[in-house]
Amino acid sequence: MKLPRLVVVGGKLAIICTVAAVVLGLVNAVTGPVIVANREKALMAGLAQIADGANLINVRIGEGVTAEASGAVAASDEVNAAYPLITGSGEAGGYILQLTGTGYGGEMSLLAGFYPGGEVFAAQLMENQETPGLGKKAEDPAYMGKFLGTGGERPVPTGRTELPPAEADAITGATITFLGVARALESGSGFVRDIDDALLRSAQ
Amino acid sequence: MIREFTKGLFKENPIFVIVLGLCPALAVSTQVVNALGMGAGVIFVLLGSNIFVSLLKDFIPEKVRIPSYIVIIASFVTIVDLVMQAYAPGLSRNLGVFVQLIVVNCIILGRAEAYASKHTVGSSVLDALGMGIGFTLGLLLIAFVREVFGAGTITLFAMGNFGGVIEIPGLSDSPARVIGLATGALLVVGYLMALFHWMQARRAGERGSTARDGAGGAAA
Repeated sequence: MKLPRLVVVGGKLAIICTVAAVVLGLVNAVTGPVIVANREKALMAGLAQIADGANLINVRIGEGVTAEASGAVAASDEVNAAYPLITGSGEAGGYILQLTGTGYGGEMSLLAGFYPGGEVFAAQLMENQETPGLGKKAEDPAYMGKFLGTGGERPVPTGRTELPPAEADAITGATITFLGVARALESGSGFVRDIDDALLRSAQ
Repeated sequence: MIREFTKGLFKENPIFVIVLGLCPALAVSTQVVNALGMGAGVIFVLLGSNIFVSLLKDFIPEKVRIPSYIVIIASFVTIVDLVMQAYAPGLSRNLGVFVQLIVVNCIILGRAEAYASKHTVGSSVLDALGMGIGFTLGLLLIAFVREVFGAGTITLFAMGNFGGVIEIPGLSDSPARVIGLATGALLVVGYLMALFHWMQARRAGERGSTARDGAGGAAA
């Protein structure tokens, strides 16, 4: 019996797709655990680096808590998790937040450290799909310098006009990335100002 | 047979002569290390897709050849993406979305459709290597010019005590930043393309005059 032509054509395409799916499944099984471990390692390294920027003595990073569980009224979509920085005396010296911003290439993941008053003391761009050479420049530690010390008494700059001319030039060609980072940090700052002690207590 | 390999390097260079794959060439050529990583990824995908398209050319029905090629190409690109994320996370971060965009790189589909689907596996391998290396060399040339003049640096892979960045005295302090931006990319590619065409025209002219001299000598 001769099969209809459509079935033959569709069947052959289905065979190609099935073989491709099996091969990709095998590759994923090998690389998946390594990718997860790499992400975990990058997160730990990022947390340690941010904590170093806090200028606090004998500080340790507490357990991460999701934004919803933190009890902060200002919990927003930009805040994913909060890690308290616990000083030797058991007080919260600050918080490291895992934030999500929207850049030119979609969602960007950030880690940022805040003092309890909401002032940014360190920030780092983590996973992102920004354009190499343009938005990707935000991965450079020097890029985040323009946000340090803001969020407390000084507002987080969210526009080119709020930056000194030299720093405004540095964001040329990547203003969407800049805005994404700025808005995430602004949300993080508000979140930290609003946080209650429940986060700290749950982490201890 | 060797011409299948060498044609992609100069005579039919994918970037400067056939003008394919310009989007990633413009986007990732801000640093030499990106060009190396992207070039290696494209060579691997081109080689894999050309081999499988050539092997399956009699199996793949004419009506679904393009979807079939895309499935094959996308599979190799996903393999490159996953392997890079697992074993070269830094490079994967640098190249970002452009690794996944190798799927729509016209060179890959172009070679599958125009060459591998009509030739033997051996010829398709040589074609893939020639075109892939030609693309990589073109990308390296653009990235070298852009990074040297646009940033005053040459960024390579970090190894041991070598941090991966070579600073060029005089240029690293006051680079022509526009070369590193999209405008600079178009300018650099345009000038290099003009240089390539001028060199080809010159070679063709030399060959023509040699042939005329030969014919004139024979007539005399």
